[in-house]
Amino acid sequence: MAEIAQDSGGGHKKGGKVRSKKMSTRIDFTPMVDLGFLLITFFMLTTTLAKPNIMALVMPEKDIKKEDVEPVKESKVLTLLLGANDKVYWYEGITDAKLDSTDYSAEGLRQVILNKMEKVKGQFGMEDYEDFKTKEPRKGSFINVIIKPTKDSRYKNLVDALDEMAITKVRYYVILDISKLEEEFIKNPAAGLKFNAEQQVEAATQ
Amino acid sequence: MPKHKPKRSAPTIDMTAMCDVAFLLLTFFMLTAKAKPQELVVVDTPSSISETKLPDAGTLTIMVDKDGKVFLDMAGQHTRMDLISAMNSTYQMGLTQKEMNVFSIVGGFGVPRNQLKRFLDVEPSERAKFPSTGIPIDSVDVNKSELANWIHNARLSQFRMKQEGKVKEEYVIVVKADANTPYPAVQSVINTLVDINVNKFNLITSMEGKPGAEGKK
Repeated sequence: MAEIAQDSGGGHKKGGKVRSKKMSTRIDFTPMVDLGFLLITFFMLTTTLAKPNIMALVMPEKDIKKEDVEPVKESKVLTLLLGANDKVYWYEGITDAKLDSTDYSAEGLRQVILNKMEKVKGQFGMEDYEDFKTKEPRKGSFINVIIKPTKDSRYKNLVDALDEMAITKVRYYVILDISKLEEEFIKNPAAGLKFNAEQQVEAATQ
Repeated sequence: MPKHKPKRSAPTIDMTAMCDVAFLLLTFFMLTAKAKPQELVVVDTPSSISETKLPDAGTLTIMVDKDGKVFLDMAGQHTRMDLISAMNSTYQMGLTQKEMNVFSIVGGFGVPRNQLKRFLDVEPSERAKFPSTGIPIDSVDVNKSELANWIHNARLSQFRMKQEGKVKEEYVIVVKADANTPYPAVQSVINTLVDINVNKFNLITSMEGKPGAEGKK
């Protein structure tokens, strides 16, 4: 309004034609950017982006009938006893078992499992089996691992042991409660393991 | 000769592009993110090479802290409401409607059944400081084990809700235990699950690099 009045009143500008002053259409975005980044920071801090990983675990059923238990070859069995202070005790088979100990490193437990696999492969060769999902016949060599955590072990030890199963692709493994005989065995390895096949089944199906 | 003055330009920067980026990121975070639930208990999970991700919905989480105290958390407001009304009438817990409403939105809990009323009455901001003693486990008689009762009833509630069409899936049971938990505490939880015929469950672990790159530890 004021500008129009000025135009008509004061005609002593060049040509008499006065252009109205053009306002810049630029908006200062700085506060908006501030706000944007503030909100980003807020959302970044209050959210969980990385979802935790899960590891599936299948436990044997509580009441297994003795008839349903399929016997396994003793020389294929590797038993891991998860002990205190991140130590793993292990022995092969049952008869005349020798107790040895190792740790959870790549050179320790993993090597024990791989050695056992090699041994079983050498002894039994490749066997036929049916693929779980596709039912296709395949060939492979398997060991059976029994994991028995002692009372002094911690949860991490169990997960580490299960992790080794996944890394070395052990197909058959099971977590069982430790028996009295095995606790004795850890304390006094020289006495040997007085465990027979029936007691093993007993321990597994109790 | 007149001095040639360099034209001074105002030191303004065009913020439009920056603004675009900021809001693009903001939109991204808002759409992808899920609110971080308030942690009732600090659990430092062990690491593994597993790459399976935790499902988005329908999880029943059993947390075991490093002292072996057991906490429970489950997804789904409808299920929780159904669960608490079932538990309230079965065990005469004497909860009011308001307390049951609180239960349906509260996160995890780790108190014996007889302390639950007190736990729900506490102000939300004070709840993290509540002296939780963990959910009791009776390893001898599964019918007396409170943990077993909670899980069993929660699964039943979830199943009912699924039939009513309020939820899509049945519960996936996950165990989230601290790396330093003594094994017997984890063992009693696992035995409880096996006792109520949950033979398949999951252990929550954190990420670890594949072996071979630099090896473990």
